[in-house]
Amino acid sequence: MPDSKPHPIILGAVLAGLLIIPLVVRDEYYLHLFIVSAIFVVVALGLNLIVGYVGQLSLAHAAFFALGAYVSALLFFNLKWSMWIGMPAAAIVTAAVAFALGWVILRVRGHRFVIITVAFAEIMRLVATNWVDLTRGFMGLPGLQIPALYVPGIGAVDVSSKERFYYVVLAAALLSFYICYRLVRSSVGRAFVLVRENEVLAESLGISAFRTCMIAFVVGAALAGTAGALYGHYIGFVSPDLFNFSYITIMLIMVILGGKGTLIGPALGAVVFTFLPELLREASYYRMVIFASILVIATLFMPRGIIFPLVEHLVPRRWRKGHDRAA
Amino acid sequence: MTALLEIKGVMVHFGGLTALKDVNLAVSAGEVLSVIGPNGAGKTTLFNVITGRVRPSLGSVVFRGQAIQREAAFRIARMGIVRTFQKTEVFGALSLVEGVLAGALARGDPDPETRAREALESVGLQEKAHLRADQLPYGDQRLLEIAQALAAMPQVLLLDEPASGMNHQESAHIVRLIGQLRTKGFAIVLVEHNMHVVMTISDRVMVLNYGETIAEGRPAEVRADPRVIEAYLGVQKTDARAG
Ligand SMILES: Nc1ncnc2c1ncn2[C@@H]1O[C@H](COP(=O)(O)OP(=O)(O)OP(=O)(O)O)[C@@H](O)[C@H]1O
Ligand SMILES: [Mg+2]
Repeated sequence: MPDSKPHPIILGAVLAGLLIIPLVVRDEYYLHLFIVSAIFVVVALGLNLIVGYVGQLSLAHAAFFALGAYVSALLFFNLKWSMWIGMPAAAIVTAAVAFALGWVILRVRGHRFVIITVAFAEIMRLVATNWVDLTRGFMGLPGLQIPALYVPGIGAVDVSSKERFYYVVLAAALLSFYICYRLVRSSVGRAFVLVRENEVLAESLGISAFRTCMIAFVVGAALAGTAGALYGHYIGFVSPDLFNFSYITIMLIMVILGGKGTLIGPALGAVVFTFLPELLREASYYRMVIFASILVIATLFMPRGIIFPLVEHLVPRRWRKGHDRAA
Repeated sequence: MTALLEIKGVMVHFGGLTALKDVNLAVSAGEVLSVIGPNGAGKTTLFNVITGRVRPSLGSVVFRGQAIQREAAFRIARMGIVRTFQKTEVFGALSLVEGVLAGALARGDPDPETRAREALESVGLQEKAHLRADQLPYGDQRLLEIAQALAAMPQVLLLDEPASGMNHQESAHIVRLIGQLRTKGFAIVLVEHNMHVVMTISDRVMVLNYGETIAEGRPAEVRADPRVIEAYLGVQKTDARAG
């Protein structure tokens, strides 16, 4: 139900668990995976607004992620602006680009919408590859750094170690979760689901499908852009590889197998599907084939995804009131 | 009596087909105007024009003195003209409350849930408020559609064959419901093939045939009109439930 809140005990336990991860996980590699997971939680929550809540299959999301990475990287590379400015700038630029793109494509639906989002992603990739004066083409933009964080009363704090950067990305993931939580419970967010379920009817009752989809699209893109900036600075390098089609595939897997149209599902999906491919490295040649196949099968036969239904059964019913059941 | 909604000289073409030809209509608060006519006469198209889903090539739709034929569908709904659909349209996967609150939400109502429950109560579905819309039997879904429309707090209600596919008891309920809505001051335009419903509830009846108005007047007058009998009522016996 839209107005329910997560059970405080569960919420507290989850938060505590998330906070102690760097104290418990001493292995740098696993910590790295947790950091990447948290960044992809932001991405998946954004994509979920579009694919899960308003129900439009956008393949432009990875391009927004890459665009955010480039915006922040270019500001750093050319102007020496730190990530703390680059990140909000990335969010604003991706939101603005999404607004302009949405102005055109949110007037069409179905396969036409999907195809134009693919075309947009491809144009972005070509720009990143060929506008060499700006982007350095395939050479990419190296040497990105994680700047110190200025904390009032304490001063500059170095957050560039994995242990500390984890808390930065965790904060980003939690904040994104909170933003999405508030959004989907607001009147706009309730309109998301109405438009998804029956657009013609929603419009005939006074809801603007265009405006509703636009809000999901722009907020979703801004989250992707923010995550892209974090990712670029964390990896230290931004290149056209970010536009690789495997990114959008994995993002869709996180959202759809996680459980689109819920918040917990895609967030957990981001974690699971960051770890799983890494743990299955042996099968590296086949893993994208396997995942893509799972995606097809799940899309056809498991509309609620895999992870959300599992979680739903693990958590006792009386503790479950916090779970969004909009799907 | 000044009309709440007026349609003046509306013309609609679909390619070579003239779906509406110089159609005029006026309906006031607390009045039920029925639009009848054979399949393909243009009744649903008329609703589509009023609600902004089809643009007329000529003519105007005037609501409370304002021309609205160029407005977006969702704006027209917010202004106070809401319709139901000939083919049932509900938010299948949502609970009745979650779906019915749509109209209240769109108008910025501070408490859409309460509006939704009131609307469900006025059609008698309050006990099923928590069920999924697609779990309801067909007859209840038709009532749900009316609740959806009511929660949007319209002044004009356009009902497209609300009694189609209903048994005697259910259509009697619909007749009572429409009567109550009229008493509450809604202006109602009713498209309906069930002549018993039309003749019982209507203040005025307008007959469309091939997009043209061939008769208009009180139910008894229209029923006796030879052109109407020839074009529509005469075939009712054999073609009673077509469409
Ligand atoms: N969007 C459209 N495009 C092309 N033709 C259309 C469209 N909508 C309706 N028509 C045609 O316009 C004519 C009027 O259709 P309309 O649906 O308004 O009839 P109706 O009076 O509601 O009929 P019924 O009693 O069967 O519901 C029909 O010939 C129909 O095929
Ligand atoms: Mg019709």
